[in-house]
Amino acid sequence: MARSAAAVTRVRPRSSGWESLALVLATLAVIASVAGYVLLRPERVGPPTPLSWQVRSFDGLGAVDQAIHSALLPAGEEIIWNNNDTGGWVTLERAQELLLPPFYRDAFWKANGEVHWQLILPGTHLAHKGGDDDATAADQTASDVSKATLGQGATVYYGSAGHAPGQSAYLLIIGHAHAGVMWANQATIWVHRDPNAPYPAIVKPESLVGEGWRQVIPYDGASEIERVKGTQP
Amino acid sequence: MTVATKPRALWRRCIALWVLIPAIALAAPALASAKPLRIGITLHPYYSFVANIVGDRAQVVALIPAEANPHNYQPQPDDITRAMNIDVLVVNGIGHDEWAFQIIKAAGRTENLPIIQANATVALIPIGGDQEGVKVVNPHTFVSTTAAIQQVFEIARRLGELDPDNAATYRKNALAYAGRIRELRAGFMTRFAALDLSSFRCATTHAGYDYMMQEFGLFVSAVIEPRHGVAPTARQLANTIEAIKKANVKVLFAEKNFSLDLAKPIEAATGVKVFALSHITGDTYSADEFEVAMRENLETLAQAVEYTQQ
Repeated sequence: MARSAAAVTRVRPRSSGWESLALVLATLAVIASVAGYVLLRPERVGPPTPLSWQVRSFDGLGAVDQAIHSALLPAGEEIIWNNNDTGGWVTLERAQELLLPPFYRDAFWKANGEVHWQLILPGTHLAHKGGDDDATAADQTASDVSKATLGQGATVYYGSAGHAPGQSAYLLIIGHAHAGVMWANQATIWVHRDPNAPYPAIVKPESLVGEGWRQVIPYDGASEIERVKGTQP
Repeated sequence: MTVATKPRALWRRCIALWVLIPAIALAAPALASAKPLRIGITLHPYYSFVANIVGDRAQVVALIPAEANPHNYQPQPDDITRAMNIDVLVVNGIGHDEWAFQIIKAAGRTENLPIIQANATVALIPIGGDQEGVKVVNPHTFVSTTAAIQQVFEIARRLGELDPDNAATYRKNALAYAGRIRELRAGFMTRFAALDLSSFRCATTHAGYDYMMQEFGLFVSAVIEPRHGVAPTARQLANTIEAIKKANVKVLFAEKNFSLDLAKPIEAATGVKVFALSHITGDTYSADEFEVAMRENLETLAQAVEYTQQ
């Protein structure tokens, strides 16, 4: 018995147990790496965040405003092409002949608040009236204020007096390349929470923002591709 | 004598090469630009759009067979061959033809094939109905008229950049095509003008019709598929049936070319009437397919709205 007890010898590992410590440290390192990656991983590019004076078409507009905005985009493109080809602007009468939404007075126009559209040409004193329009107070306001746009070079399609619930007032502003406006050769769309908002005194961003207009940022296919793939198309 | 002529012949050849090589190099791009573009497309509507834009100035090449279902398509070897022989590819790009990028990669064209993102400038809208509080992009911009026109303009603009000699023709054709699409829409707008759209509520099996509905001031109350091309679970289906009953939905739009397996039980459980809309897919590619399919869709939509007025 005594002999067997004497034979028991505790042998300490040669490394003095550093393997255990190394294993614990390696485990902690893996956990820390995973946690670090999760916390610090590069996030996918998100949709553009609107500034305080902007609104996103995808989730910032009501259904009616969204529908009108969707129609204004191709209309703006067609108007610009037309201007490039002819030097003129598509009048509201011509828009009726072209069946061009959102100006064309069809079921879409009716379902989306029967907006009263006016074309305000650059350097003119008078708002352009549609053929069958009654002379409304809004027209007069627009005529007065459009004097202030003299020389600004922007052509504006101004929509107001829509009566759908939650509807806005609208501006489709088309810069003219020769006028030197900051958004030359492209169209921008603005909305105002008040559907009867008067025509703005000056159609430049800083003035529009001051008068409560918000620029609509279209959430378009290019933005979606950037969000999903993290790259521009 | 022989020794003297050899360097002279060599010198002549060098001069000839010096003159000819630049001449050949200059001639090559001229020949390339004279050759009509071969424009690849991924989906049926894009065949119609591009064919109407280019007319006889370019060739339209469908990347995959006409009868293929674009929702679950698996690339085939022939697709890769086609991808190797096109000059540019027009894509939906926002979730309806992701397989095209696998084909491009397999064809080794990732770096040198210009891609036209048809939806680059289209204002996207979310899928209708309740998507569990999340706004999900609807990629079906081609089942519409306004968003279709926007895509036609974008494609024409980009093709004009790639093929400047024909840019004016492409733009002119695009405007004429847009005019025809608007005429089609206007015909139905007149019909819709006489109807009361305020109480119209509908559901769809597939989230393919929000853009078309938007154009007529109509909205989708419920979508049966929880995600694009994915069948619902039993619980999701039960929730949707509940939502349809609550919203007093009277009409369900199913897919014309797809199975009605989803629509039938919902019709039985809720009493909705089923109408079938086209996703604009068919057995052949053609220039007029988009207009034909959209005319049928608008006719079906008008019938559905008229049904709810009874």
